[in-house]
Amino acid sequence: MKRLFYIFLVFVIGNSTIAQAQLDSIQQLDEVVLSDNKLKLYAKGHKITVLTDSVLQKNNGTLTDVLRYNSNLYFNENGYGMVSSVSFRGTNASQTAVVWNGININSQLNGQVDFNTFNTFNYDAVEIRSGGGSVQYGSGAIGGSVHLSNALTFNTHTDHTIRMGYGSFDTKRANYRLSTGEDQWSLNLGVGYVDSENDYKYLGSSQRNLNGQFNNLSFNLNAGYFIDKKNVLKLYHQSYIGDRNFSGTRVAPSKSRYEDTNYRSMLEWGMFQNDFTSKLKVVHLFEAFKYFENKDADRYSFGNVASFIGNHTLNYKLNSAIEVRSVLEFSKYSADGDSFGNPSRDAFSTTGLWRHQLSEVFNYGVNIRKEFTSGFSSPVVFSADAEYRINRSYAIKINGSKNYRVPSFNDLYWNPGGNLELVPELSYQVDLGHEFSSRFMDVKFNTYYIKTKDMIQWVPDHTGLFRPQNVSKVRNYGAELELILKYHLNGHQFNLNSGYSYTVSENAETDQQLIYVPFHKASVNLSYGYKAMELFYQHLINGEVAIIGGQLQGYNVGNLGLSYHYTMFDNLATILQFNINNIYNSPYENVALRPMPNRNYQLQLTLKF
Amino acid sequence: MTLKKHVILGLSLAMLAFSCSNDDDNTNLPIASGAYEDGILITNEGNFNQGNGSVSFVSNDFSISEPTIFSTVNGKLLGDTVQSITFHEDLAYIIVNNSQKIEVVNRYTFESVATINSGLNNPRYMTILLGKGYVTNWGDGNDPDDDFVAVINLQSNDVITTVAVGEGPERIVSNGTAAYVAHKGGYGQNNIVTVIDANASVLKTITVGDIPNSMVFDALGQLYVLAEGKPAWTNDETAGELSVINPTSNTVTSSLAFAKDQHPAHLAYGNAMYFYMNGSVYKFDTGIKSVPSTPEFTGVNFNYMTINEGVLYGVDAGNYTANGTLKTFDLSTNTSKNSVEVGIIPSGIYFN
Repeated sequence: MKRLFYIFLVFVIGNSTIAQAQLDSIQQLDEVVLSDNKLKLYAKGHKITVLTDSVLQKNNGTLTDVLRYNSNLYFNENGYGMVSSVSFRGTNASQTAVVWNGININSQLNGQVDFNTFNTFNYDAVEIRSGGGSVQYGSGAIGGSVHLSNALTFNTHTDHTIRMGYGSFDTKRANYRLSTGEDQWSLNLGVGYVDSENDYKYLGSSQRNLNGQFNNLSFNLNAGYFIDKKNVLKLYHQSYIGDRNFSGTRVAPSKSRYEDTNYRSMLEWGMFQNDFTSKLKVVHLFEAFKYFENKDADRYSFGNVASFIGNHTLNYKLNSAIEVRSVLEFSKYSADGDSFGNPSRDAFSTTGLWRHQLSEVFNYGVNIRKEFTSGFSSPVVFSADAEYRINRSYAIKINGSKNYRVPSFNDLYWNPGGNLELVPELSYQVDLGHEFSSRFMDVKFNTYYIKTKDMIQWVPDHTGLFRPQNVSKVRNYGAELELILKYHLNGHQFNLNSGYSYTVSENAETDQQLIYVPFHKASVNLSYGYKAMELFYQHLINGEVAIIGGQLQGYNVGNLGLSYHYTMFDNLATILQFNINNIYNSPYENVALRPMPNRNYQLQLTLKF
Repeated sequence: MTLKKHVILGLSLAMLAFSCSNDDDNTNLPIASGAYEDGILITNEGNFNQGNGSVSFVSNDFSISEPTIFSTVNGKLLGDTVQSITFHEDLAYIIVNNSQKIEVVNRYTFESVATINSGLNNPRYMTILLGKGYVTNWGDGNDPDDDFVAVINLQSNDVITTVAVGEGPERIVSNGTAAYVAHKGGYGQNNIVTVIDANASVLKTITVGDIPNSMVFDALGQLYVLAEGKPAWTNDETAGELSVINPTSNTVTSSLAFAKDQHPAHLAYGNAMYFYMNGSVYKFDTGIKSVPSTPEFTGVNFNYMTINEGVLYGVDAGNYTANGTLKTFDLSTNTSKNSVEVGIIPSGIYFN
C-alpha cells in the first residue's frame, strides 16, 4: 500500500502541464462503427445498452467486473478471477449468448461463457442486448446477449495506448493497443496480460484465498483492407490463454488448476453494390481446457472443440423504408475429450430479417430462422419487434420471440450420463420497454416475461446416476430500470448511471425461485469531474439468493476511484487512476462459501500517444 | 465538494437502508439439545463443493429430529461431503471427504474434541483395530497409484503411518485381528479386498466381484462382500457378485453370481442377510446357493440401508438437491414404520 501511494505521488507531483478538456473526449460516448451492424439495425424494439471506453476503464478489465457494476446482469463467480457465469433476467448461464464480432461463441462443451476470460481493454465496445435473440444469434440467446465488438477505422491515424496497473494481492496488469490505418486499410492490435497472487483475506476468519492464483494473456488483432471501393476484406482474431488455480471454499481446500485457451479467427469479405451488401465470413473457433485435480501432479483431464463456420449475409435496401437480409450459415463442430470421446455435429441455418420504417414514428421488424442440426431437430424460431416514437424524447419498444438452446456436447456425450435423446430447450418471451431521454436524463424501463420448457437438467435416474433430461419448466418475469443523469455546470460534470432489477425466476411447477437468482439487484455509478480530475463511486446491492438447502445473504459493495488526466509531453496524454475496491471492507460471497476480496487498491497508468 | 459528498453519502445510506430491510426474516434456527444418546445419527453428504454436508439426529421413537447437529452445537459448518462416522469409546469420528479432515466429537453431545486435518487425502471410511484408527483414502481421484490407508493414533489424533493399497479403497471393517478394505475403485472400478493386519502391513489381496460396495461379518465371523458389478455405461457391464471370505485363511470360500444386469448394493445383516437392488429389498439366509428372486418389499429408493434390532433403516436421497428421508421397515412384517426428513443426500445411518 505504501508503495502504491508513493508511485501515485510521483506521478502527481511530477506532472507540469494539466491537460484541458481531456475529460470530454473520454466521457463522450463516441459513436463507433462496430463490426456487428445488424445489432442495432435489426433490433430497434430491443433495449441495447452500450458500454464504451469510459465505462470499461473504470473496472479492472474483466468483463465480469464491468457488467456487474454497469448492467442488470448478475454473476456467479467462484471466488475472484475464477469461473464466472452469468444470469440474464434470471435465466441460467447457458441461456445468454456471447457474441464476438457478430459470431456466437458460447462453449460447445457446456453452452456457457466464462466472463473472466475476456479482457475488455481489447474491445471498443461491450453491448448488452436484452430479450431473446435466437433468430439472429442462435442457440442460447434466451435472456439476452452480450456483444463484444471491435471497430476498424479507415483514415490516416496511428494511436498507441499503454496501460499498466499494479494493485493489492500482487496483481499486475499490462496492456498495449495500437490502432493505425489509412484510407484504404486499417489495423488494430491489443495485447493484455494479467497476473495475480489473488491471496486475499477471508474477512471474519483467519483463512486466505490460498489457491486462487491466476494469469492470462489476451491477444486481439483486427485488420481491414479495401481492395477497391466496393470490396473490403476484414480479419478478426482473438486469443486467450489462461492459467488459473481454482480456489477452494471456506470448508473445502483446493489444489486444482485449470488451463484454458480460446482461439477465434474470422475472415470477412464485404461487397457493396448499390442497394446490396454482401458479406461472406469464414470463422474458426477453438476452445480447449486442461483440468489438473492436483496442480503439482502431471495428470489432467482435457476437452476441446474446433468449430468451422461459413456464413453468408445479404442485405438489400428495398426502398428508403425497407431493408431485408438473408443469412445462410453452416457450422461444423468436432470435439475431443477424455469424458466424451470425439463426437462431431453439423448445423445449417437459414435466417430472414425484415425491417420496415412504416412512418416517421413507427418501425417494426420480423425475423425468422430455421436450423437443421445433426442428431436432433431444432425448432423454427421467429421474432418481431417494433418501436413507436411518441415524441422526440419518449419511445416505446416492444419485442417478442421464440428462442432455443441446443443441448451441449457435455449434455449429449458425457460419459457417464450423456443423453442422446435430448431435445433443445424452447422459450417464448415478450419484452416491453419505455425509453425516455433528454439532455439531463435517460430513463429506460422494461418489463418482460419468459417461459421456458424442456429445460435440460442433470437429475439422478433410478440407479443414482446423474443424467441430463428435458425436465423442468421455468417462468421468468421482472422489471428493469435504468437511470442516467448528466449535469454539467461551469466545468463541473456530474454523472449518475444506475440500474435496478426485480427478477422472478421460478420453477413453473413448484413456484419456487431458482437458486442463485436474486429478486433484487441494483447498481449505481456516480462520477464527478472537474478539469483534469474525475472522482467516481460504484455501488452494488445484491439481494439474498436461494441456494441448495438454504439462503445466501445479500450484500453491498462499494468502490471508489480517482483519475487524473494530464499531458507530460506533446501528444502524450496520460491518465492516472487509483481505485479502492470494496471500500467498506464488506465480507461477501456471490457463490456460497467462496468469499470475495476484502478492501483492496489498484493503481493504473494509461499513456496515449 | 460538499454537495458531492452529501450526494454520495445520502445515496449510500439510502441503499444500505434498503438492503437491510430484508435481513430480519430469520428462519427459526434449530436449537441444539446436546443430548444424542438414545437415537440415530444420519450423515448427509451434501452437494460436492457446496459445503452443505451435515449430521442429523433422530430419536429412537422418531418423535424428535434435529438437523445439522454438529454446526448447531459447535457454531461452525461441518464441511463438504460428509462421508461417514466411526465410533470409538465416547467419541465419534466424522470423516468429511472434500474438507480433507476428520472431526472428532463426543458422540453423545456432539461437542467438538479435535480436528484431524493433515495426512489425509480424500478420506472415506474408518475402522478401529487394536485401538488405532484405519482410514481409507483415495489420494488424488485421478491417480490410481496413490491410494492409501492412514493409521491414526487416537490419543494424539495424528496420522502415524500409511499403508499403500490398490485403487479406490472404500469401506473398511475390522474383526479385531485384521482390517478388510473393499476397493470400489474410486473414479475407476476395482475388484479387490485388501487385508491389513494390526502392524499396518498388507497381509493379502483377495479378488472379489467388480466394485465391492458393502461388507458384513455374519454371526460366525465369515466376511460377506457384496460387489455390484460394472454398470452399463462402462461398456463392459458385469454381474453383481457375493463373495464369502474366511478370515482365517483369507480366501473366498463361496460366491454367488447375480445376472449380468443385476447390480445389488447395501448388504446388511440382521437375523438374515438383506440387500438392496433396483428399488427393492431382498433377503437371503447365509449359505444360500442362488440369488433370491422375490423381494421382501419394493418401491423404495435407498442410498444406503442397514438393520438394527429387527428394523431396517434406509435413507432416500430424493432429488439430491433437497432434504432426503429416513424410512424404517419392520422386518417381521415387512411393513413400513416411520419416516422422517433428514439432510441433503443422506448416505449413512448410525445407532448411538
